[in-house]
Amino acid sequence: MIELDGVEKVYPRGSELVHALRGIDLVLSKGEFVSIIGHSGSGKTTLLQIIGCLDKPTRGSLKIDGIEAGTMREARLVELRREKIGFVFQQFHLLPGLSVYENVTLPLLFSRKKKTEKEIMTILESVGLRERVRHNPNQLSGGEMQRVAIARALVGDPEIILADEPTGNLDSENSNTIMALLESLHARGLSIVMVTHNRDLAGKAQRIIELKDGRIQ
Amino acid sequence: MAFFKLASKNILRHKIRSFLTVIGIATSVAVLFSIISFNRGFEKGLSLELERTGIHFLVVPSGCPHEVASLVLHGSVIPKYLDISIRDRLAEFPSVALVSPFLVFQLPNPEKKRIDLVSGMEMAHIKKLKPGWAIEGAVPAAEDEVLVGSEIAGHDRLKIGDQLTYQGNRTFRVSGILEKTGSQDDAFLYLPIATAQAVLGKEKGVTALGVRVANPETINAAVEEISAKIPGIQIITMSQVLNSLSSLAGSAKVLSLSIAAVAILISAVGIMNSILMAVFERTGEIGMMRAIGASRSDVFRIILVETTLITALGGLTGIVSAAAGSGIIEALVRKFMPYVPSGKMIGFDPGLAGLCLLFSLALGIASGLYPAWKAARIHPIEAIKA
Repeated sequence: MIELDGVEKVYPRGSELVHALRGIDLVLSKGEFVSIIGHSGSGKTTLLQIIGCLDKPTRGSLKIDGIEAGTMREARLVELRREKIGFVFQQFHLLPGLSVYENVTLPLLFSRKKKTEKEIMTILESVGLRERVRHNPNQLSGGEMQRVAIARALVGDPEIILADEPTGNLDSENSNTIMALLESLHARGLSIVMVTHNRDLAGKAQRIIELKDGRIQ
Repeated sequence: MAFFKLASKNILRHKIRSFLTVIGIATSVAVLFSIISFNRGFEKGLSLELERTGIHFLVVPSGCPHEVASLVLHGSVIPKYLDISIRDRLAEFPSVALVSPFLVFQLPNPEKKRIDLVSGMEMAHIKKLKPGWAIEGAVPAAEDEVLVGSEIAGHDRLKIGDQLTYQGNRTFRVSGILEKTGSQDDAFLYLPIATAQAVLGKEKGVTALGVRVANPETINAAVEEISAKIPGIQIITMSQVLNSLSSLAGSAKVLSLSIAAVAILISAVGIMNSILMAVFERTGEIGMMRAIGASRSDVFRIILVETTLITALGGLTGIVSAAAGSGIIEALVRKFMPYVPSGKMIGFDPGLAGLCLLFSLALGIASGLYPAWKAARIHPIEAIKA
C-alpha cells in the first residue's frame, strides 16, 4: 500500500519556485489500477515520480507498505525501486545495442537477482514476444517495443507498475494492445498507476485521479 | 548479462566514435612504446658499439672530449694532431697490449661533388678493432689500396679492383668493400695509416691513438700512469665517450618524451571528450537504468568499464602497430638523427609492452573518472523527462 499525506513538491526554475504538487493526500491500495490525468503542468508526472521513489517530496509523507520513504537515503530508495516497482516509460528507453532478451534481463544485472531462461521466456510469452527474443529494438514496432518495456518492468517481480504515458507514442491499435496487457497484469494482482492524457484509456482503470495545478480535483 | 557485456555493446553502438578514440589512444601508446624502445636500444647499441671498437681508451691531443666522441663515431675533424711517436711511448707501458692509430679527415671529391670521410687505420689491427665487420675482398695490403664503406660503394657502384681518383693525381684501388653495418662506418673510406698521413700532408700526425690494455681491470691505473708520464695528451675512456654521447642524446630523449607526453595528453582529453559526449547523449537511457534499479555505483562502473575497454583496445592496437611498424619507424629515425648505433634499435620487449599497456589503462581510467562521476550523478527522473 502507498500512502501520501500532505505531499508537496517545490522546485526552482530560474529565480522562481514552482509548486508542482500542493497538499496531496492519496492512498493506493494493493492490487488497485489507478489512472492519473490532467493537463500539461498539472503535476501528474511529478506525482508519479514521487510514488515511484524517483524523487522526494519537499514536504509531507510518503509511505510504502507502512515504511516512510520520503526521507530515505538514496541507496535504500534504489533497493525499494528494485524490489517493489516496475517502470514503463513513454519513450520505451530500450537499449538499442541489446536484444529483446537482454533488454528484459537488464534490471537483474542491477538487482543481482537470478532468474532462469525459462522464467524469462514465460514473461516474454505473457507479453506476446516469445518469437522476438533475439531481435534488436530497431527491428520491432512501437507496440512491440512497449511490450518489451513492460516485460522488463515485470522481470524483477514488482508489486506495482508505474506507467508514464505508456501509449503516448503508439497508434490506437497498439494502444489497445498495451492497455489490454496492463489490464491483464492488474487481473493477476499487480497494482498499476498510469499517467495519461487520454480520458478513454484512463476510464479503463478502477479509479481516476485528476490533477489540476498540483492539487487533486 | 554482465557489466562487461553491457559496456562492450554500448561501445559497439558508436562504432566510428569508438574507432577514432581507439586510434587516438593507439597512436599515443605506439609513440610512447617506440620512443622508450628506441631510447633503450640506442643506449644499448651505443654501449655495444663502443665495446666492439676493441679499445679501452683513446689518447688524443688535449681538448674537448665531446669533439673526440664526435670524431670517433661521427667523422668530424679536429684541428689538433698527436705525434705518431707517442704510439711507441705508449707501447712501452707494460699494461698496454695494443696501440692503434686513427687519422680521420675529410677529403674533397670534386668529381662526385661531395666530401668523403677518410679513416686512416693500421690495417693489421682491423680484425681486432672491428671484429663484427664483414668484408668482401680484402683489407688494403698496399699503400694505394682502399677499403670502401658500403654506402659509398653502393652510391658509386664500386666493385673490387675499381679505381678511385682524388685531387687529380691520387688513385686508389678498391681492395675490399665493407658490408653494410647500419652505422657510420658505412660512410667511410679506410686507408692504411701511412697513406692517410701522406694524403693529409701530416706524415707524423694522428687524430687519436686507440689503446687496449692487457687486463681491463687495470684501465684506471693505466690511464693515471700514462697521463702522468706523457704530457700534452688527454685520455678518454670508452665509458666517458659513452657518457658524452648519452648526454648529447639526452636532450633528444627529453624532446621525444615531451612529444610522447603531449600525444598522451591529447589522447587522454580525446577519451574524456568521447566518453563525456556518450554520457550526455545517453542521459535518458542512464536515467532509465537508475529508475529500474541501477545504483550510482552501477552507472559509474558501466562507464568506467567502457573507458577501460576502449583504452585496453587502443593500448593493444598501439603496441601491435608499433611492433609491426618498428622497421619503418627505425628507418625514419635513422634518416633524421645524425648518429644512430648499428643494430636494431626498436625491439619488442614484452615487459615494456606490458608497462605501456598498464600505462594506457591507467590513463583511460583516469580520463574516464570524470565522465563516470558525471553519469552517476544523472537523476532517474531524466528517464521520464527525456
